[in-house]
Amino acid sequence: MNITIKKGHDIQIAGVPSGEISKHSNLSSIALLPTEFRGVKPKLLVKEGDRVQIGVPLFFDKTNPEVKWASPGGGVINEIQFGPRRVLEKIGIDIDGQEESKSATKYSESDLDLLRRENVMETILSSHLMHLIRQRPFNKVADPKEKPRDIFISAINSAPLTVDLELVLKGSLKQFQAGITVLSKVTEGNVYLGVRPNSVLQEINNAVSVTIKGPHPSGNVGIQTHHIAPLNPGDVIWTVSAQDVVTLGKLFLTGRYDPSKVVTIGGPGVKNPMHVRTRTGVSMRSLLHEQLIDDPIRIISGDVLTGKEAHQTGYLGFYDSTVSVLPDTITREFINMLKPGNKKTRYSLSSAFMKIGNALFNFNTSQNGSHRAMVPISAWEKVLPMDIYPNALFRAILSNDIEEMEQLGIWECDDEDFALCSFACPSKIDVGSVIRMGLDLMEIDGQ
Amino acid sequence: VNWLLKLLLKVRPNFEEGGRFRYFWAIYEATETILFSTDERTKSGPHIRDHLDIKRVMILVVVALLPCYVFGMFNVGYQAALANGESRLWWENAFTGFKIILPIIIITFISGAFWEILFAVVRKHEISEGFLVTCALIPLIMPPTIPLWQVSVATTFGIVIGKEIFGGVGMNIFNPALVARAFIFFAYPGDISGDKVWILGPDGYSGATALAVPAATQNEQAIPLLNSVTQFDFSWINMFLGWIPGSVGETSKLMIIIGAIFLIITGIASWRVMVGAVIGLISTSFLTNILALYSTNSMLTIPPHYHLVMGSFAFGITFMATEPVTGAHTDTGRWIYGICIGVLTVIIRAINPAYPEGVMLAILLMNAFASLIDYFVVRSNIRNRMKRYAK
Repeated sequence: MNITIKKGHDIQIAGVPSGEISKHSNLSSIALLPTEFRGVKPKLLVKEGDRVQIGVPLFFDKTNPEVKWASPGGGVINEIQFGPRRVLEKIGIDIDGQEESKSATKYSESDLDLLRRENVMETILSSHLMHLIRQRPFNKVADPKEKPRDIFISAINSAPLTVDLELVLKGSLKQFQAGITVLSKVTEGNVYLGVRPNSVLQEINNAVSVTIKGPHPSGNVGIQTHHIAPLNPGDVIWTVSAQDVVTLGKLFLTGRYDPSKVVTIGGPGVKNPMHVRTRTGVSMRSLLHEQLIDDPIRIISGDVLTGKEAHQTGYLGFYDSTVSVLPDTITREFINMLKPGNKKTRYSLSSAFMKIGNALFNFNTSQNGSHRAMVPISAWEKVLPMDIYPNALFRAILSNDIEEMEQLGIWECDDEDFALCSFACPSKIDVGSVIRMGLDLMEIDGQ
Repeated sequence: VNWLLKLLLKVRPNFEEGGRFRYFWAIYEATETILFSTDERTKSGPHIRDHLDIKRVMILVVVALLPCYVFGMFNVGYQAALANGESRLWWENAFTGFKIILPIIIITFISGAFWEILFAVVRKHEISEGFLVTCALIPLIMPPTIPLWQVSVATTFGIVIGKEIFGGVGMNIFNPALVARAFIFFAYPGDISGDKVWILGPDGYSGATALAVPAATQNEQAIPLLNSVTQFDFSWINMFLGWIPGSVGETSKLMIIIGAIFLIITGIASWRVMVGAVIGLISTSFLTNILALYSTNSMLTIPPHYHLVMGSFAFGITFMATEPVTGAHTDTGRWIYGICIGVLTVIIRAINPAYPEGVMLAILLMNAFASLIDYFVVRSNIRNRMKRYAK
């Protein structure tokens, strides 16, 4: 299957990571942040000062007790942090010199083909790694009791400054194949794999590979789902990020949880943008050691469009594989609104400025304007490659009209697919967060 | 200019909540953000943002109007010289035009700013840049002889009734500048239509616009009628270039096309509306040309390419119909909206002898129907999805 996506935009932001993967050496502290997992009510299984191995469960979900979270590191629990109303916010682990890891059954490559759904689910649940798999709608940790219609995996990262998956997966094709094979056992539908044309991943078995051309957000799994087999009400699909497929593959081949992943450090606030092999939940301080420019900066766990601010004392999010750093200094320019285009400072996909060209731009955290009422000059529609009227959906959400939201296709939406709309909006409206609001409303009332 | 920013920031506390001039916060905020780009940072959502904001959108429309202003200045002077039977130098014409247009602009902006600021202060919202566009449009759609008090009253009506009572920019149903014009058109028709208003001539001087010529005579062909006018050159090319009587900014189609191209390239205006309107106009005028065989109405005989350059059709579809808020919001809807404007323009021009200029009413009428068009476009999207859901 071939899909060409026309709408969208690749933001030319400076600080593109170099094409080699270096190793992160001084890994000392990591953390798991339970608030990232939407809708989960965590109940602790460890306490401060406990020694843990990799793969030991740290907490479970009260609403779904068989889903537990494996420790991504071996060492001592040094901090358990609660937020308001005793919401579990953080479990910090000091990594020891010699990490041990819990082991499970391992399979040979040929055995994997003989597995059945029960075996696969049993292994994933007993290794406490269910949270590697997410489900749509709502983009939350998959429910192991659910039988997904299909599984979608995107082997394309189209968002700015993200990991070059081709580069990463090239070295672990065997594990990736193993991950795909086991995932193909848990659904009665297909495993769809979104790849770029001429990718080595087209040769992967047990999956329907779909070549996808076009600018961001073509790499988003939501956009790919929309074009391959859109969600109807009641449908549940599962998604796994490509690097987590490798993690699953390794789990079945070696019997051990390998929490390492390749992460990019990029953006105009970074001295030496690159790919790094490090650990999920790594602390920003150790990852960004000697990497930051001297000016005030904003550190983001995730890409610049959908990431969360993390601060220097923060940690990499579980599902994130990008750390973006933006300068946080804003100069106030005199009669800015009358100034014509300028290659270095003004970037707009509306071509209301001079042609962008191939230059990379030093974006900062400026909103570039104040919030205003919606003026529909099609800025959203031009970057949303979906058969959805974002304007109408936006209004339906703001008026809490659940029926209308469903008719307009909210089941197919996720906030990350609308991030580019917020980027382009001249009224500086945050479309993505409104879509999330709508999804939350659907989750509570819509079923 | 750093001293200016420092000065502004120094007086800022006086305007903030609890300060001496807190009621004038809207004025302060507008001054600060017009002079200096905002220092607001992204909080939620994307951490980086496109450089286009509403200020820039609006100012780009004003920039697109500048060629019309420049040409309008020359033409008003040129028509005045013609009417007085004098031959003047180009800069004398420009100066005459300047003297006429400047007071209209000043009055428009003063009345517009007054209401915008009043509403911003009372309703505690920011001063919206949208009024810049409204106020830049109004002088261009007025005849040069318009009494200044009418300009002021019309601007007031346009801003208050056309926009503010709905909640301001983004919530209005009708294009405020057109509402202003429609107000004069129905309240003081003698000052904005007929033969006497288009030229600054001696007392009692009359000169009809091109559209009024075939409207006035029955059972004739439009083109010979236009060519028989000796007072003005109503040839196609001259009407395209714009040396004809009319409202200040609407006569030169060349300048309007320059503005249109600018707006399309910058992505501010929808080309779908413009192209749709042209298609609607051309196809309907073909139809009227056929109907003309069975009628005595000379307006029916105007061929499509003449319709395009007569009256303010070009100006209307470029700067009025493409107003994003009051037009259709979906791309499919924009086609329908544009086509309907073209069709209605010809129908109003040809069938209704009382209003030879149809585009203003066509746009206002379609403004009212824009959300209905969107409704059906969105419904058809929903219907397709429902079919899939039902499977």
